[in-house]
Amino acid sequence: MRDEERDNGLESLFRNKLEENEMVAGSDLTGRFMERLGRREFFRFNPSRFNIWYITAAAAGLMVAGLLLLSPSRGEAEPVTPLQDTSQVSVPGEEVVTEAPALQAIATDPVTLQEYPAASEAGEAGSVKGQAIVRHDPIATDAKAQGETIALNRGGTAKLAVTPLLFNTSIEPSVTSGCVPLHVRFGCNAGDGYSASWSLGDGGISSEISHDYIYDIPGIYRVTLTLTDERRRVSTATEIIEVWDNPRADFEVRQNDQPGENDKVLFVNLSTGAVNYLWDFGDGTFSTLADPSYRYERMGRYDVSLVAYSVNGCADSVTVNDLFTDKGMYLRFPNAFVPNRGGPTGGYYNQQTDEENQVFHPVASGVDSYNLKIYSKSGLLVFESDEIAMGWDGYNKGRLCSPGVYVWKVRGSYRNGQSIIMAGDVTLINY
Amino acid sequence: MMSEQHIIDGCIRHNRKAQEMLWKQHSGYLLGVCMRYATDRPEAEDMLQEAFMRIFFNLGEYSGTGSFRGWLRRVTVNTAITWYHKNLRHKHHAGIDDYVSAETGTAGFEEDFYTAEDLYRVLAELSPGYRMVFNLYTIEGYKHQEIAEMLGIDVNTSKSQYSRARAILRKKLEELAHMKGKYT
Repeated sequence: MRDEERDNGLESLFRNKLEENEMVAGSDLTGRFMERLGRREFFRFNPSRFNIWYITAAAAGLMVAGLLLLSPSRGEAEPVTPLQDTSQVSVPGEEVVTEAPALQAIATDPVTLQEYPAASEAGEAGSVKGQAIVRHDPIATDAKAQGETIALNRGGTAKLAVTPLLFNTSIEPSVTSGCVPLHVRFGCNAGDGYSASWSLGDGGISSEISHDYIYDIPGIYRVTLTLTDERRRVSTATEIIEVWDNPRADFEVRQNDQPGENDKVLFVNLSTGAVNYLWDFGDGTFSTLADPSYRYERMGRYDVSLVAYSVNGCADSVTVNDLFTDKGMYLRFPNAFVPNRGGPTGGYYNQQTDEENQVFHPVASGVDSYNLKIYSKSGLLVFESDEIAMGWDGYNKGRLCSPGVYVWKVRGSYRNGQSIIMAGDVTLINY
Repeated sequence: MMSEQHIIDGCIRHNRKAQEMLWKQHSGYLLGVCMRYATDRPEAEDMLQEAFMRIFFNLGEYSGTGSFRGWLRRVTVNTAITWYHKNLRHKHHAGIDDYVSAETGTAGFEEDFYTAEDLYRVLAELSPGYRMVFNLYTIEGYKHQEIAEMLGIDVNTSKSQYSRARAILRKKLEELAHMKGKYT
């Protein structure tokens, strides 16, 4: 009982000293943390705080405002060029829009008429109105047509030459979404003679017409391309690139010590950010459960791997080589026990009897066959069991054995075929 | 000075000022908690940051009933448990060394004799598993059954690790007392 008191002393020592103990978090730690928190907050939507959403909204707002301002002024700055030569006269794209109703009225050619719905559709997109006509024109779709002039003869009344300026800027990414790190090859429909300015949404910029880019942080990025042609006319386009987070595959192995389930291995999934799983148990068996348990036919070398997939199909994998080393197989016996004085319990132990140490039984794993014999000092066999689940309750033929030392011997084998021969003694205690 | 409720409300709105206040008020206490679970000070500081991230992003879950400090501590302890799982990947929990642990020593423990730093140091020298069980049982006051569930180990493992941890701690404290006795 003195031990008990001392333990209480130890416990209260730790409790009293440490439970409410305060340390000083240094100012550098505070700084480091606030910075980290600030970064996290920055990517989180919060109307009352400056963050990435504000920047995005502001950028979008500015862009719309800019486009609205630009379109009428450019219209004025670029008056309709008078006809000079049927093959050389060019009209800026915007002008086509102002002419569009007239053209529509004049147009009798069914091919031309067909093109108008496309034009009005594009017209809603903002300032890039006119080009749509050019772009959807079957003759001008080819980017190489840019710079050349195509004369359209409208019923002989007027000869309009339209320059396919390719002002309908469009971004051509190799992919628009994917798992981090995401490699995107950005291209656009502009040829030489244009200068490009890319804003890649995560702070990156580029001035190449086409280029490669890597997104290394998950997120939704708005990519903006601004094209300027030789006549300093500007056109922009945006594209959304979605970069998905990868899950993290992780698991832990638990071998259940409960009797009767010795060899069932519990795989505890600790993956994060994943919704689907693929387990490879290393013996040719697979599972798609989140937390599978598996009974191996035999112990041995198994390389277990887990692949975790996120909702977007991003994957991460983890492999544990040689999952069960020999420490997965053991058999250990206590050296004393205190039988229940109320009568024989049959030796099948449970949480409660085990807690009170009423049954003599081993802690075992990976045991295939097993035979336990217990002898009294005089050599009398007092107990025998062929199953680990049944230990000795301290009784022999219904009578409690006398306190003292008993000798035990175990024969058997582990699942890998290794044989077990163990012997020892155990003290039966009886208060 | 803002009241506690003020600060909590502010933090729920992710107000930076309130977040800083909350950190200032409670980081010392929670660092003390983390120190018990960590192997060293840098690890404790990392754990603390992790815990505060959780606190700031889950503050909405605090019901308002019960002590706020207690809630903070629970979140921190849970962080420590997650931390333990993360850093102890693929370890087997099956090891039960002995049924009967060898317990030696005679002296009781004078509380004034040991400083908090001493106790942190002997705790840090324990293996992570023992430290978890000892902390959760002795200071957090969980039952073995609960600890077993939290750590994903057997109840008996929890018990045996606890008694082993106790034996080791006692030995270390006695050694420390010896050293201190010698040099003071």
